[in-house]
Amino acid sequence: MGFWQIINEKGWYFLTSLLGGWPATVTVAVGSLVFALFIGLIIALLRLSNWRVLRILSTAYVEIFRGTPALVQLFVIYFGLPDVGLEPSPFQAAIIGLGLNGAAYMSEIYRAGIESIHRGQMEAALTLGMTPIRAMRYVVLPQALRTMLPPITSFAIVLLKDTSLVFAVGVVEIMALTRNLVTETLQSAPIYIMAGLLYLCMTIPLSRFAARLERQRQAWQ
Amino acid sequence: MFDLPQIYAENIQRWLPELLYYSLTTLKIALVSFILAIVIGVFLALLRISSVRSLRLFATGFIEIIRGLPIVVLLYIVYFVPPQLFPELDWRWFSDFTGAVIGLGLHGGAILAEVFRSGIEALHKGQREAALTLGMTPTQSMTYIIFPQATRIVLPPVANYAIGLLKDTSLCSLIGVNELMNDAKGIAFADYQPMAVFVLVAAIYFAMSYPLSLAVRHLELKLNISR
Repeated sequence: MGFWQIINEKGWYFLTSLLGGWPATVTVAVGSLVFALFIGLIIALLRLSNWRVLRILSTAYVEIFRGTPALVQLFVIYFGLPDVGLEPSPFQAAIIGLGLNGAAYMSEIYRAGIESIHRGQMEAALTLGMTPIRAMRYVVLPQALRTMLPPITSFAIVLLKDTSLVFAVGVVEIMALTRNLVTETLQSAPIYIMAGLLYLCMTIPLSRFAARLERQRQAWQ
Repeated sequence: MFDLPQIYAENIQRWLPELLYYSLTTLKIALVSFILAIVIGVFLALLRISSVRSLRLFATGFIEIIRGLPIVVLLYIVYFVPPQLFPELDWRWFSDFTGAVIGLGLHGGAILAEVFRSGIEALHKGQREAALTLGMTPTQSMTYIIFPQATRIVLPPVANYAIGLLKDTSLCSLIGVNELMNDAKGIAFADYQPMAVFVLVAAIYFAMSYPLSLAVRHLELKLNISR
């Protein structure tokens, strides 16, 4: 059977089957993004801390998570943790794994954002009697957000693409269904291309959005 | 009771030589796809700045599509789709290794094309015009004036890409290439020691990528000073 004939006969079935994995893909992407935004901020603040030990520990965290593949990290969490008595579900492992990995990258984005705000701002806020945490929360971070928004959007796109790894720890998302469907029908060409198009439908609009944010940021400066 | 040092003491002599042997495959994939990525990247970057509109559009679209695809999906498409689309051709030469290298090379090419283009565009247009005014041909001005200067600008991002690539080779295990990650899976599940094996593998990847990232940092400092 020719390529187009298969698309004609089975295309709708393929598409609806693959779309069944879309909620799982989005859940993992959003879950790990929230996780990474939160942990990343903590790591970034620890790296700016006055305590040497905290600085060293947080730097080590970033180096280790950036120096090893996300797939290995996912495997350590999903297959390794049961050895020490923890049994994360596939979803938990995926969100924690991509989240911890993403936190290392997010912390660098936060750090660059915080460092882009002049020190005088922090000093002024402290002089006005704010605590360091309040100064960070109400003075530095809101201003840094403008610089950080474009890289955060790019990071979200990378994270969305990385969710295609989590089928390896058993999450039934788009890529897992793609592989199942290929095993079922043996039509690898149309199915893998369709999966690719599904990802493009999500990533290309997001990357257009990121490019627009970046242009706006440059116009402000 | 889970005792990591004890497990390593008992098994490391068996595990480490095998894992290190397969890290060579990982390095080989990384090296070959790095070279391919540079070739594709230069080619796409030249198309992107070409004066022919249709070539520019083609390159832009191609780069956007490749960059929008997850690497895993790209690897599956490159490895499984062509043999099914053209079954009449001879595909015996097309091993999983070749598929992996082409997939990673295409992905890297799309990333590096943007790096190279911004490197070339970062140089003032006057440089090229001055070279042409001095009687150089466009090829000569590219070879002797633009390229040497652009190299310095693109070196840090290219090195950063290389670090990412080294880690991305672990994805080739998903299409069945016998590299470090795939071998680790085999050992981990055969010996029922996933934690110990995957932590060891993480350490091996770290030992390969960390020296590279220290080198990049050194390079960035050095290039900044000399400018």
